[in-house]
Amino acid sequence: MTDMFVSLGTWNWLIFGFILMALEVLAPGVFLFWLGLAALLVGLISFAVAISWQIQLVMFALFAAAAVPVWRRLARPKPDASASPFLNKRTEALLGREFTLEKPIIDGSGTVRIGDTVWRVAGPDTPAGTRGKVVQVDGANLTVAAA
Amino acid sequence: MSGFDIFAIVLVLLVIVTLVAGVKTVPQGYDWTIERFGKYTQTLSPGLNLIVPYFDRVGRKINMMEQVIDIPEQEVITKDNATVTVDGVAFFQVFDAAKASYEVANLTQAITVLTMTNIRSVMGSMDLDQVLSHRDEINERLLRVVDAAVSPWGVKVNRIEIKDIVPPADLVEAMGRQMKAERVKRADILAAEGQRQSEILRAEGAKQGQILQAEGRREAAFRDAEARERLAEAEAKATLAVSEAIGKGDVAALNYFIADKYIKAFGQFADAPNQKIIMLPVEAVSMLGSLAGIGEIAKATFGESAASAAAAARRTGSVPTTGSTPPVVPPRQG
Repeated sequence: MTDMFVSLGTWNWLIFGFILMALEVLAPGVFLFWLGLAALLVGLISFAVAISWQIQLVMFALFAAAAVPVWRRLARPKPDASASPFLNKRTEALLGREFTLEKPIIDGSGTVRIGDTVWRVAGPDTPAGTRGKVVQVDGANLTVAAA
Repeated sequence: MSGFDIFAIVLVLLVIVTLVAGVKTVPQGYDWTIERFGKYTQTLSPGLNLIVPYFDRVGRKINMMEQVIDIPEQEVITKDNATVTVDGVAFFQVFDAAKASYEVANLTQAITVLTMTNIRSVMGSMDLDQVLSHRDEINERLLRVVDAAVSPWGVKVNRIEIKDIVPPADLVEAMGRQMKAERVKRADILAAEGQRQSEILRAEGAKQGQILQAEGRREAAFRDAEARERLAEAEAKATLAVSEAIGKGDVAALNYFIADKYIKAFGQFADAPNQKIIMLPVEAVSMLGSLAGIGEIAKATFGESAASAAAAARRTGSVPTTGSTPPVVPPRQG
């Protein structure tokens, strides 16, 4: 077994790299893809320049660590990266919405019916029947101001 | 194996472990809380995240999707002391992963128990009939109360629905009977109403008919009276005219008219298909004498020639005389 690994030499890195990349599909989000890339890189370098396997291992560790900033740059979220930006962020979808207060806001808190459910709102005391606008969201609480 | 060999191997292992510990991919629909030495520091949102390995640890993985909890069956006593079995569902969504993780120990259990107790209090304040017919109101009240109660946990309850309300079997049976009786009553009332209406309509019709008939009769009587009046007027006028004429002229003219009518009447007798035995009152016979008057009028008017013609006519016996047999009419052919 060990003989086989030794005989394969540099090919080991390439094989290892591809196996890691394939594993990324099975276990996504564990960064295996980047480790695979690092292994491929080490393999290509050892094809060009003869280096001892210990150095190769250290190089692999360095490349793997260096992969993090590279990946961070790639994974930086763009403002319109998602096809549906309000996924699991229902309150943010309500920002700027206007509605009529069914019940007055008393002591800074009240409720308002939007869609099919009742939301808790906070804001300045206002009588029922006035129109309000969602200006800020915090968890499941909406902050309203007079529209 | 030299020390450097071992170092290299361990270094690689360490890097791999560190990377795996520091890079966190949060799937969509979940938020992960991060604890630094056991204390909450931040929440990871979906996507790739970096945390400080060895210091930070993923605490809770909170589902941020809307979730459904089955509210288990329970017996509720209504205001009018009926025991009903009620179950339902609650839909809730976590909006603040940190609060949902650390403000409450067991979120779903807490929401379940809260909903159950509130179902009891809401339904306990209603009659059975109200409970059965005002589900929307119950849902609304439950939602407001429970939603306000879960607010410290960073959760929003979107809706609470009562699924089944099952009264005890004997009550259901009684309700069925009540409904049947209600329907039967309604049917009876409707039938009676119909009968009443039809009777009224019939009476109305008869009344109208009678009124119209009476009106008709009245109208007819009026017209009859008018006709009689008109006839009398006409008779009077005619009589007046005749008497005026008589006053101006001769009585003989009157005789002429009578004789003319008399002869016409006899002509009708002759046409009648029965046996011809005619009884004439005595006065009628004397009336025939007036025919002689006609001759005199004729004499006066046309002179002698006409008189001789009249005499000739008398000889032929065309004018019936007293005591003569009536003219024999030959029997009709076929």
